[in-house]
Amino acid sequence: MNAAGVIAAFVRRDFLAEKSYRLSFALGALATLANLAVFYFIGKLFGGGLAPQLEPFGTGYFAYVFTAMAFFGYIGTGAGSYAGRLRLEQTQGTLEATLSTPLGVPALLLSMSAWNFLFATFELLVYALAGAFIFKLDLGAANWWSAGLVFLLSAGCFAALGILSSCFVMLFKRGNPLAWILNNFEGLLGGVYFPVAVLPGWLIAVSNLLPVTYAVRAFQLAVHKGAGPAMIKGDLLALAAFDLLLIPASVWLFGRAVRRARRAGTLGEY
Amino acid sequence: MCYYCGMRLEVKGLVKEFPAPLFSGGTPLRALDGADLEADTGVTGVGGANGSGKTTLFKTLAGVLEKDAGTILAGGAAASAERLRQLAAYCPANPRSFYFRLTAGENLRFFGALAGLSPAEAEARAAKLAPRLGLAAVDLGRRFDRLSEGTMQKVSLIRALSRRAPLLLLDEPFRGLDGIACRGLLELIAEAGKTSTVLVTSHSRELLAAAAARTLRIGQGRMPPGGPQ
Repeated sequence: MNAAGVIAAFVRRDFLAEKSYRLSFALGALATLANLAVFYFIGKLFGGGLAPQLEPFGTGYFAYVFTAMAFFGYIGTGAGSYAGRLRLEQTQGTLEATLSTPLGVPALLLSMSAWNFLFATFELLVYALAGAFIFKLDLGAANWWSAGLVFLLSAGCFAALGILSSCFVMLFKRGNPLAWILNNFEGLLGGVYFPVAVLPGWLIAVSNLLPVTYAVRAFQLAVHKGAGPAMIKGDLLALAAFDLLLIPASVWLFGRAVRRARRAGTLGEY
Repeated sequence: MCYYCGMRLEVKGLVKEFPAPLFSGGTPLRALDGADLEADTGVTGVGGANGSGKTTLFKTLAGVLEKDAGTILAGGAAASAERLRQLAAYCPANPRSFYFRLTAGENLRFFGALAGLSPAEAEARAAKLAPRLGLAAVDLGRRFDRLSEGTMQKVSLIRALSRRAPLLLLDEPFRGLDGIACRGLLELIAEAGKTSTVLVTSHSRELLAAAAARTLRIGQGRMPPGGPQ
């Protein structure tokens, strides 16, 4: 089977489906800008009164949260989209038909969220344009090679978390503890809206167990301080270790979950 | 592998049991209880009452479900669920397993890609099959949720037939079809039976007899071994 052809078919299908809901796209883009404006005014309110926790990043609050939101918005796509897509297929009644074909698990996983990643790339572009032309952010010091490396390692890691999360959807349909953790604690503990140094010691220890903490910190340092790979070596190694563990484990577990659903006869249930 | 040649299908002692939902207090449902079946290139009908196990049998032969026990030989070789998904094209009894926001044609193009067809092949095969079932070209360009139930069924049949698979499984294919479409489908089934192993179910004895020279019956998940019933 031609993997590129299958990915293209999924992207085309999802594009056509999204296009058929015209208002949804416009409202989504507006919500992103409104969200950014909130943080812009919070940043303006506190102005030059820089928190000491932001000093290592060498930037103000708005630039910090803007970068983190743009970055997290993209890599978070991997974490959220697999379970969401799978659930949609279940409720539409198309999951069983899709899995009645010769399509294998790796091809399904590569294709299932391809559209979400493409759309997230577009959103990232909107963020970049808004940052440059509306909010006049200065990203002149950024080390983009380093940022790209963090991006790559983080995207793989979060996609794996998303695949793990979709295993719960495959088996239990509703009730997804991993999605609950990802939705409620990644932003709080991962340094997306504020540096983790603000947290009490015991919560910092918990945040160190989450890949998002390493990803956001390394990305911030690469973008605002121009940190090269040597300077953020610890974070890069942590992300690589998460990748090595999570990617094969998630693909294997998803295959097991599909097989179990085939055995129990629940592929067509929602 | 030849995707356009039929093959001998041999099923022995097929068992499929659906476990009761966790903590439901229910008991497992044994949908197939040692079913036996033999079919060669050609059309074989499968009759049986509601709940007799026809759909479970077809889903297991299509590789959608994994069997609990028994053997399935396709062309003399043991066939896993994965291999069956490559060999079989399955038309489910419910025609609603499509993307409602997409046109019928786009749906066929998508499912064609999953079966290894290029967009051009999928479109050409759909265009060839549609008039045989009385489906107008304009219906292929219509959004799926705006089609009638019978038209949905025609699209579902085209999805299965356009794969030209060596094993074709049609579960209640006549449901919702008008007279012209039924005649067209009977012709298409006969043509498919020249090159593929085709299994068809129907609650209409007349249609089943018209579609298949040989009909087996399934009851309580069992099919007696051997020839015509």
